[in-house]
Amino acid sequence: MTSVNNAGDNEEIHTKETQLLMGNRAVVQGLLEAKVGLTTAYPGTPSTEIQMQLYKLSNKGQLYFEFSVNEKVALEIAAASALSGVRSAVIMKHVGLNVASDPLMALAYFGVVGGMVLVVVDDPGCLSSQNEQDSRFWGKFSHLPILEPSTSQEVKDTIVKAFELSERYNSVFIVRLTNYTSLNTSEVEKNVVEEKMNKDGEFFKDVRYIVPARYVYHKELHGKIKAIRADKEFLGFNELRYSDSKSNKLIVTQGSIFPMVEYTRNFGKLDIAILKVSAIHPLSEEQLCEIIKNYKYIYFVEELESYLEDEISAIIAKNNLNVKIIGKEKLRIPQENKITPDVLLEPFTLIAADPDDENTFRYEEIPQLPFEPVIGREDLLLPRTLPRLCDGCSHRGAFYSIKRATSVSTHILPSDIGCYALGQVSPIEVGDFWLCMGASIGTAIGFSLTNNKPVIAIIGDGTFFHAGIPPLIDAVLYNHNITVAILNNRLTAMTGGQPTPSSNEDSSQNQTPVDIEELVKAIGVKWVKSVRVEDVKENTKLVREAMDFEGPSVMIFNGECVVELYKHDFDLGEPPYVDQEICNHCGICFIEFDCPSIVKVEGRIEIKEETCSACNICVNVCPQEAIIPRKK
Amino acid sequence: MSQNIDNEKPINIAIIGLGGQGVITLTKLIANVSFGLGKKVCYNEIHGLSQRGGSVQSLLRINEAENPVFAAKDADYIIGLEKLETLRYLYLAKGSTAKVIITNKYLIRPTSDLGYEQFPDEDAIMLEIKKHSSELYLFDALGFEENTKTKFKPLNVAVFSAITTFQELGLPTNKAENLVNEYLGRNMIIRQINKKAFKDGSKWLRKLE
Ligand SMILES: Cc1ncc(C[n+]2csc(CCOP(=O)(O)OP(=O)(O)O)c2C)c(N)n1
Ligand code: SF4
Repeated sequence: MTSVNNAGDNEEIHTKETQLLMGNRAVVQGLLEAKVGLTTAYPGTPSTEIQMQLYKLSNKGQLYFEFSVNEKVALEIAAASALSGVRSAVIMKHVGLNVASDPLMALAYFGVVGGMVLVVVDDPGCLSSQNEQDSRFWGKFSHLPILEPSTSQEVKDTIVKAFELSERYNSVFIVRLTNYTSLNTSEVEKNVVEEKMNKDGEFFKDVRYIVPARYVYHKELHGKIKAIRADKEFLGFNELRYSDSKSNKLIVTQGSIFPMVEYTRNFGKLDIAILKVSAIHPLSEEQLCEIIKNYKYIYFVEELESYLEDEISAIIAKNNLNVKIIGKEKLRIPQENKITPDVLLEPFTLIAADPDDENTFRYEEIPQLPFEPVIGREDLLLPRTLPRLCDGCSHRGAFYSIKRATSVSTHILPSDIGCYALGQVSPIEVGDFWLCMGASIGTAIGFSLTNNKPVIAIIGDGTFFHAGIPPLIDAVLYNHNITVAILNNRLTAMTGGQPTPSSNEDSSQNQTPVDIEELVKAIGVKWVKSVRVEDVKENTKLVREAMDFEGPSVMIFNGECVVELYKHDFDLGEPPYVDQEICNHCGICFIEFDCPSIVKVEGRIEIKEETCSACNICVNVCPQEAIIPRKK
Repeated sequence: MSQNIDNEKPINIAIIGLGGQGVITLTKLIANVSFGLGKKVCYNEIHGLSQRGGSVQSLLRINEAENPVFAAKDADYIIGLEKLETLRYLYLAKGSTAKVIITNKYLIRPTSDLGYEQFPDEDAIMLEIKKHSSELYLFDALGFEENTKTKFKPLNVAVFSAITTFQELGLPTNKAENLVNEYLGRNMIIRQINKKAFKDGSKWLRKLE
């Protein structure tokens, strides 16, 4: 397929002083306007564009940014910066915060000196994640304030304000985006920013950082949250919209879905006020009661968990407010997946209906009110286009070798998080299991201890560096009998091709690539081979040899991500062709190897030139040697 | 700040295709011409992971500043760069008034003969699309691509050119052309190809009765 995404490095198009900016890009604008000195991140969709933009700016020398080795390290670096008085920001996706939570929970007790903002991007609907956990819960858990903007303009303003508040209260501030706010593009007013951000600070030593009786700071933390709860500016993030409405109903919603809630309200022509809660944590009883007491019916419209509903219901009960609460369950708003206007149409017919009529919330009785309650989506039974490894993906070569050396019934192959997770599905079927980043090696150890089967962990280079090294050390320490296949494309491909520690990228930062082979040997693994993915026949033998080895063995498969190659060149060379005289239609190339560009046309095996990326791995896969390469 | 109830009515556009077809760039082009004319605009992009060829959709609203995501049956325009994907999202179209513009590309790659994904044939898809769209336009992508002798074939730019012929969208040709010339393409060769694609893009569009 021809690559047409050629809008000069995806740079937004300037047309006037205000600009259309994606939410993610508005984060960067906010960081620059707040004069952030140091930024760190670990790749993760949907936060990618923030990181890529910071990476670009750092290469130009405008600020310090690094793709840290994982989220925990990223947060620790940013924490030390803020403790040295230098404003810092750390960017990650929702699951990244699980990894970074350990230092975060302790940092909350100390607080910060320079402002520190943690931007966490949630992924309702799991469009690019292993789960859809709701980051709003971190606020209560860590006692850190959370802000949740609605539009790109608000994203930018929130970031700037979060730094001020962070310094006012010496507290880390969390800004939570979702795939809606982070990927929507809308208008933003940009202020001029400095060409070079300053990251010179000074760390003032203090006993508070070393004393063991930290419950003192726990107490201090409770005090801070109390103060923030009363801060006018903080509470100013919450807004009552359409307060002139005559209705005695109030919709309570959260910042990140507010624009869709407003759209649905207007689509259905409902004259009802909306309370938009963007200051998610802490909530102010005083502020909420002041608003809620003017209404009779309170409707909660939220994405994912009933967070506000539970919190605010408790406040209502505590303050004996005489209102009727109508929550998500009654409104039939799902607790999972993304909110879209489509999802909200039926709940809004219920909001429009009479809440005191017993029949309103009975399932059979969907009231026919302002607009069609259920939209007639034609059920066309179209095939789903499931994600597949790209044509020309180097992982396919590694999978083929592993597949030839193993079988589904006799081996266990724990896999990991990255593009190679796609190898788990039929017909490739290399990978039986995946949990979270780095888990392939730890679980491989567990499986090998409890099953009388050879176990091969499948892990990418990015994931290996992120969380795969400690379990490999465990394997060496206890001589666990596992094989680890490291699929090294020197990129975090799944998230859009960010560098990993093994990248040989030319950037202005002085990076010293870490050699995986050397590293693995230094850990003490005795059987280590580093190979090219194309050598499938030789590699199949090596996989068998690795499994026969007593103790941990590591095989490093080196190859390239084709999406990355296409970024530099839209013509990757002439595709090979099938010599029809030699081909005996065994099907290995298009079933076992599973290349989407190898197709069966009227009984003949052919290579689709339009999509083939000329990786030529299939040339070595064909047992008949019927696939003939052409020169580039 | 809020919705445009009193001002000009929002125009809702859904742009549908597969990864690599330039859906997002096409969206940006339309959005920025409108934005350059002082209109409110917002859009979103929905795509899966990095892999090539995945489903990509983008929702764009002109005369609306904040919320790009509209409900089913509220799209004024559906622009589909690939047939099967377009059919999948046709439920977005405003029943009797939406304009549907599709290309004759059918890019779904058949999986190996394992029978776990059955793809409908092209005629069946076309029939279904016709059934569900009141005003249907066909952009002859195959013709355009055959006519473009270079390996780089900017279908999205050609479709953009064709889209500017819809007066109600308010996309002046000269402004659109400037945007293409100024902002697209990393090198001179690509810029030239884009320029040409825009010049004669609209001639590949025709209305289907
Ligand atoms: C804790 C955590 N952080 C970030 C992510 C996002 N993420 C998904 S896959 C991936 C890494 C992919 O890199 P690699 O292992 O090198 O595999 P590749 O995609 O290159 O094949 C990342 C960072 C995640 N899922 N979990
Ligand atoms: S994006 Fe790269 S690593 Fe991922 S499937 Fe495609 S070629 Fe493979």
